[in-house]
Amino acid sequence: MIAALAWRNIWRQPIRTTLSLIGMAFTAMLLVFMVSFQFGAYDTMKSSMLRISEGFGQIQPEGYKDDPDISDTIDDPDSILAKLSKVRGVSAAAQRSMGFVLLANGERSFAAAVTGINPEREQGVSKISEMVKAGRPLQAGDDAAIVLGDGLARNLRLEIGDQVTMLGSGLDGSVAADVLTLVGIFKSGVPEVDRQIARMPIDRFSDAFLMEGAVNVIAISGDKLPDVEAAEGDLRKIARDHGLVYLNWGELAPSIKQAIALDMSTAFLMFGTLVVVVVFVILNTLYMSVLERTREFGVLLAVGMKPRQIGSMVWMEMIFLSFLGNAIGIALGMGLTYYFELNGIAFEGLDEIYAQWGLPSRFYPDMTPMRVIGGPGAVVISIALLGIIPYRRTLSLEPVKAMNS
Amino acid sequence: MVTISRRKSLALLSAGALGLTLGGPAMAQEARSILKMAFDNWRADSSHATVEMTIKRARGTRKMAMESWTEGDDKALVRFTAPARDAGNATLQLGNKTYVFNPKLNQVIKLPASAMSQSWMGSDFSYDDLSRSQKVLDDYNHRLIDTKSSGGKKVYVIESIPKKGKPIVWGKQVLSVRADGVLTSVEYYDQLGKRVRIMTADKISNLGGRPYPVVMTMRSDDKPGEFTRVTTTDANFGLSIPGYVFTQSNLQNPRN
Repeated sequence: MIAALAWRNIWRQPIRTTLSLIGMAFTAMLLVFMVSFQFGAYDTMKSSMLRISEGFGQIQPEGYKDDPDISDTIDDPDSILAKLSKVRGVSAAAQRSMGFVLLANGERSFAAAVTGINPEREQGVSKISEMVKAGRPLQAGDDAAIVLGDGLARNLRLEIGDQVTMLGSGLDGSVAADVLTLVGIFKSGVPEVDRQIARMPIDRFSDAFLMEGAVNVIAISGDKLPDVEAAEGDLRKIARDHGLVYLNWGELAPSIKQAIALDMSTAFLMFGTLVVVVVFVILNTLYMSVLERTREFGVLLAVGMKPRQIGSMVWMEMIFLSFLGNAIGIALGMGLTYYFELNGIAFEGLDEIYAQWGLPSRFYPDMTPMRVIGGPGAVVISIALLGIIPYRRTLSLEPVKAMNS
Repeated sequence: MVTISRRKSLALLSAGALGLTLGGPAMAQEARSILKMAFDNWRADSSHATVEMTIKRARGTRKMAMESWTEGDDKALVRFTAPARDAGNATLQLGNKTYVFNPKLNQVIKLPASAMSQSWMGSDFSYDDLSRSQKVLDDYNHRLIDTKSSGGKKVYVIESIPKKGKPIVWGKQVLSVRADGVLTSVEYYDQLGKRVRIMTADKISNLGGRPYPVVMTMRSDDKPGEFTRVTTTDANFGLSIPGYVFTQSNLQNPRN
């Protein structure tokens, strides 16, 4: 009965109601689209950056991340790789060994981190082989071959086909030295990677550094980052069974995680402001309409309606209005977001810069129930709670005074 | 009254400040000369030594042998003689330039500045440590912080803090020098004031006519149980070393 009254009351002022609805619907639409787009972009950035070299997760000896020492090893990589191939969500895994070395070309020498990789397995984890700009990536069957970041190659003044000298410390601390042929130069666009990273076949690395089949890390990838995140429990167990640790993407690349957290906090400040502004604008309108209707409420009291009932009616009007507005907004927002999920959003002129960073030129929003409901939900709940203000106003009404106002 | 007492305290303050500025450099000078004495005693004008190096790691222990020549503050050559796998590797320091020779590559490589902090031959020493003495004297401000007594001998404890703008990885070093000029320990602290590693003289005896830390051990605080121990088995000081010893060609094709 009160609900029916409330519903009818909303439509006694069709223009004002429509304007309020449009306001809320528009905000809700924006919130749905922007939150979905923001998170979609984060997902894209995360996976693109992680696909350069880290992977979506890694199995490592404990403490290796903070102090990568070639003598912290995984001694039975093959049995772990076999287990990983059975984990749901893991599409690829690749063993790696890494040593800090000097690379030299005649008088020129630079410090570098050389990683021994298995070219076939690595293809599923790292995109560096796709970033080779000159020469070719490492391939199965390569022996005394090396691929360098373009900064490193430039500093060493090396061209494809040149010989490069490598000097470092082997597993037992003895001198590891080798002469390799530069077969490819990659450019990831990340300066630290391009200036410091070198890759060579893991078998050759094993010989030069006396690894005897041991490796330093196993990098893991999946079709999607959430697939690997979902498998974290299994991955941690495999690592633990071998006396090793599993690091998820946030532990591997805390800088990416922090950058996203920082960006997210500013974005949420903006979304929060939007919600607050809309809530107060709507609340103001509704409160004004309550003040205007004092005379009407007086009459209702005179014919026997209780103040609490009038209050509930007014409160319900507000809830109906916000539900309706936000429902329309969510529908519109989902439509808009869906369109861009299919077509993506290109940033004109920035695609070259993005490409250098291994990012795609188009970004796609990604809807999940939480991302769709979150923003509009906050508006609805805020209005529903703040409806107590007009509600309390109606409680203090006196029939005669109200009718004469 | 108020003004007088203020003046008094001002006078006291400035006197104190004067005392500080006078006392500061004098003490710093003393600290620096103690260190210089220690480094001079260690390397002399020139030296030729036979040294064993033991590297203890969780995986096992490695023993290496080497022969070294030094002249002045800025010339040093170290050539490994054992084990067979490492024999022939050599390091040459000329001023602030460092060259390494590897027999397998048969090539001399000049170390870039960025590699100076890397481990030297897999030990707990870095290439920087090889050329330490003069750099420590010049690039740090020194202060005598304590005087102790050990085994009946006076030991000076000196705190050395890098001068501003010098590219030094350490936050400070604390060096202990015995009154007779033997360096007995060096503690290395990071920029946050946490101790990172310590080098100690484990055995001091007479060598080549002078008291010398014949056994020295370097330990990293974050790697308990691991260390690098350097034992000087034989040494001559103040001998004349032919100029060709400290050259790149001698590094690659030894004449000695």
